[in-house]
Amino acid sequence: MSEMWINMGPQHPMTHGLWNLRVRIDGEMILDVDPEMGYLHRGIEKISEDRHYNEVITLMDRTCYVAGMAWEHLYIQAAEKALGITAPERAEWIRMMSEEFQRLASHIMWYAAFVQDLGLMSPFLYGMRDRDLILDLFQAYTGGRLTYEYMRVGGVRNDLPEGFPKQAREVLDWLEPRLVEYDRLCMGSDIFRSRCDGLGVLKESDCVRLGVTGPMLRSAGSKRDIRKDRPYSRYSQVEFDVATADAGDVTGRYLVRMEEMRQSIRIIRQTLDWLDHHPGPVIADHLPRWLGAPYAPVGREGYLLKRNYPKGVGLSAIEEPHGEACAYVVNEGGEHPYRVKFRSPVFANLSACSHYLVGYRVADIPPIMGSVDVCVGEVDR
Amino acid sequence: MAADVEQKGRSKPENPFLIIGKPLATAARQFAKSLIRPSTIVYPFERLEDPKFREEVAIRSGRPIGVGQVWDNYRGVHALNVNTCISCNLCAFSCPDLCIDMVTVPGGDPKHPKKCPQIDYGKCSYCGFCSDACPEGCLSMTTRYELSTPKRAEMVYSPQKMFEIYQRKLPMNPIRLERPANEDSILLDVPLCIGCNACARDCPTECITMLDIPKVAPKPGEKPAKRIWKEPVINDSDCVRCGTCISVCPKECLFWGTHS
Amino acid sequence: MAITTLWDVAYFMATALLGLVGRIIPPLAAPLGNVDLIWGLAALVFGAILLAASMINTIMLIWFERKMLGRFMDRRGAMHVGYAGLLQNFADGLKLFRKNTFKPRDADGLGFYAGPTAYLVTSLLMFGVLPVSTGWSDGSLPLSMLLALVIFSFAPLFIFISAWSSNNKYSLIGGMRSAAQMIAYEVPILLAVVAVVVVSGSFDLNTIVNEQRNFWFWTLPLTLAMIVFVTGMLAEMERIPFDLPEAEAELVEGWNTEYGGMLFAYFMLADYVRALAGSILIVLLFLGGWTLPSYVPAALTSFPLAGIFWLMLKTYLVFGVFVWIRAALPRVRTDQLLRIGWMRLIPLSLASVVIAAAFVLVKCVPVLGCVPSMGG
Repeated sequence: MSEMWINMGPQHPMTHGLWNLRVRIDGEMILDVDPEMGYLHRGIEKISEDRHYNEVITLMDRTCYVAGMAWEHLYIQAAEKALGITAPERAEWIRMMSEEFQRLASHIMWYAAFVQDLGLMSPFLYGMRDRDLILDLFQAYTGGRLTYEYMRVGGVRNDLPEGFPKQAREVLDWLEPRLVEYDRLCMGSDIFRSRCDGLGVLKESDCVRLGVTGPMLRSAGSKRDIRKDRPYSRYSQVEFDVATADAGDVTGRYLVRMEEMRQSIRIIRQTLDWLDHHPGPVIADHLPRWLGAPYAPVGREGYLLKRNYPKGVGLSAIEEPHGEACAYVVNEGGEHPYRVKFRSPVFANLSACSHYLVGYRVADIPPIMGSVDVCVGEVDR
Repeated sequence: MAADVEQKGRSKPENPFLIIGKPLATAARQFAKSLIRPSTIVYPFERLEDPKFREEVAIRSGRPIGVGQVWDNYRGVHALNVNTCISCNLCAFSCPDLCIDMVTVPGGDPKHPKKCPQIDYGKCSYCGFCSDACPEGCLSMTTRYELSTPKRAEMVYSPQKMFEIYQRKLPMNPIRLERPANEDSILLDVPLCIGCNACARDCPTECITMLDIPKVAPKPGEKPAKRIWKEPVINDSDCVRCGTCISVCPKECLFWGTHS
Repeated sequence: MAITTLWDVAYFMATALLGLVGRIIPPLAAPLGNVDLIWGLAALVFGAILLAASMINTIMLIWFERKMLGRFMDRRGAMHVGYAGLLQNFADGLKLFRKNTFKPRDADGLGFYAGPTAYLVTSLLMFGVLPVSTGWSDGSLPLSMLLALVIFSFAPLFIFISAWSSNNKYSLIGGMRSAAQMIAYEVPILLAVVAVVVVSGSFDLNTIVNEQRNFWFWTLPLTLAMIVFVTGMLAEMERIPFDLPEAEAELVEGWNTEYGGMLFAYFMLADYVRALAGSILIVLLFLGGWTLPSYVPAALTSFPLAGIFWLMLKTYLVFGVFVWIRAALPRVRTDQLLRIGWMRLIPLSLASVVIAAAFVLVKCVPVLGCVPSMGG
């Protein structure tokens, strides 16, 4: 059979969202790939310019629908830097805990979708079942299961409810043996190993050259993790290891993510211990009035704001579950940010796909693309 | 420092004979567990928001399904207590999706009709900013989440409909935000005021009273000032900081600031 | 005459029916009493019962898989239509029946419509061949096992026809994969069957089943053949881990991507018809069919329709193993699948033939008994 192009997407079980992978194949071999993104573009960066600093948070949850809390954290850090506000200590620890819970939920979601791509349905349901417990926890203190709207400029919306630490520890105790179970279903299965070993290899030098970050980079042997390298929030005060692997293939990414989940559990336990002993305010006082909850009409204050409030820019980077995300917020005065810009890790990881797909077989596309952990919401924004 | 999972995870080389014992055993163990009770919740018949059921499930399945306050914190459909609503407009102002319209409800006096929020759930993002902003606590979010309807128009919930939800006494989101301690007040730029009474007329809490001020005679050669010789005085403790007065003031003489 | 088998039931129904007609219209009583006529009508009734039973069983098999898979996945499966969702598949079928069947503009009409139909019909033919109890077919078919395997291997032809004619790249790739897979796995399956034939000395399924009363001298030589046969059957039925032709993650739905409505239902139904027939074949060849080992008390096999009961029980258990495998294993890749077929299963099946031949040479072992084909 001669060569042909097939469109995997935008409606295709492999894509996990809306994007199109054009593949040139010869029989079962991949000769060329061409990713097309932009089907889910919602103009989040532009809409942000027309909203109050706190109202942008509703968009952050929808930027990446599996890692909303991490994106909230990212944006809030940049916005606080731009506005020159610092959050109370307790709020920072709650944010860190939230981000780690989100990493756990996101990685479980990745696991579920990834293994389902290989044709195995049960881990998908196991994963969704266990992720639901984390969503229950999120609901307990934020009120939302996916769209949290929890962080605020200068802190977080509310403190943890009573009984939350106990329940969180119960969930962690439940999750730890589940991770072993996941491993037994995957690494314990030779069929799984034969599907994943040595596929989609991307060397560390290529990762750096192409801007590939996150578990994909670490699976190639790099130790780069923003939480360690440039600690933000209170990551310098907790103990955890950076998971790395050597081969840079699908199995390596799987191993790195599984280890990251264990490290997340470790971080959350330390955070919960800290939070138990350090009560305090969770939102900064003396915030400018227009950053508080009620957005009443500003009247002449709009002009005053532009004149009086210190201008600034904020740049923040966090280790999002998918990789390194950046946010850039420009405060030109006024109650709206002047410009908001994000760097999505998945966009870079996805754009490099011709470097780790060509030369493999059509049947390898689902495991390889699954191991990238595509979240189209943040790719297109 | 770094946990290299390579050695630990890949200790076993790829087996050419495809041994599959472990996954089969794992699946079989799950099968045996699920025979007693699968983790799924038979949704329309069993509901997580039912606390009795929640405890039962947690005990039976041995897994920590939200015990405690989990479900009550949910941000679902709003409940509105029409009786205590003061028509301050803050919910509509704080809505990032502009899905709240203030519509007239019966019960107000004919000159100044009472207006309450009407929410279009087709646009709502359930962020909860409106209930955070509500100064009287009359707009709050409930655990109700079943919204599906065949008609788009039915997604628009009128104040009366939200009042019905309120009367059902569903569990409401118990987390209430406290108002910041040192809030800005509304100040008056005295020379600009013309004493038109617009702010006092529209103030939802009626905390603005118009006090008489001494009439100032025009300077020689000037026309007499076209104004009413009254001035608004704002009772700060009753004020909910809704800014209605600022938005109705024709001369922009009211503004936010601190008294000092 | 004691009614113990389905054939007896059919014969009884035919006799009663013709007798009733004869009672109502007395002049017809004598010609209707003709034995050949009764036998012919009995065969028709038998066929109708067979078709109905196989379809109902197929649908129950789908229900069984859904429920069992649900438990494996920590969920419940279908549960609202009928008791425990028993009627859910009928409801699904009804929905598919009501749907509009459409053909893509550039698809080839003849192949597009004929493919699924022929696939279903040839799959259903299997049940005409498989004996499910004693007295199933009057006068045994000497080569019934070969016939069954021949019918089983029709499938790739029709799959490829419908895949090619639906003018879709995914369908075409799926069809090609399907053809390659089924051809590759015919060989080990046939070789494993050769081992069975060597031990039993017959191509007739009735004989093969009857020979299995000697439990040990069936299990010992044929365990390896059974493993090869079951693995091959997994591939023939296109079930996980060998469901590459419809590998949904990369090929959307494989060769039935373009099919909807009742034509899709044909494919779906035929898949499960083949699954049922394959499971029955495994039971017949290796697990004693409708018989139980000779040391089992006779009371267990003497109640009415005991043969069919035991056979179906075994069939569902075998299918349960397939469901278990589906719940625990991911699918393999095309080249791995072919490598498993050509490089692992074929040597293993050859080995099983050698083992079987060795046992036949030994003929008898004092404690265990004798090889069946040596006449005990």
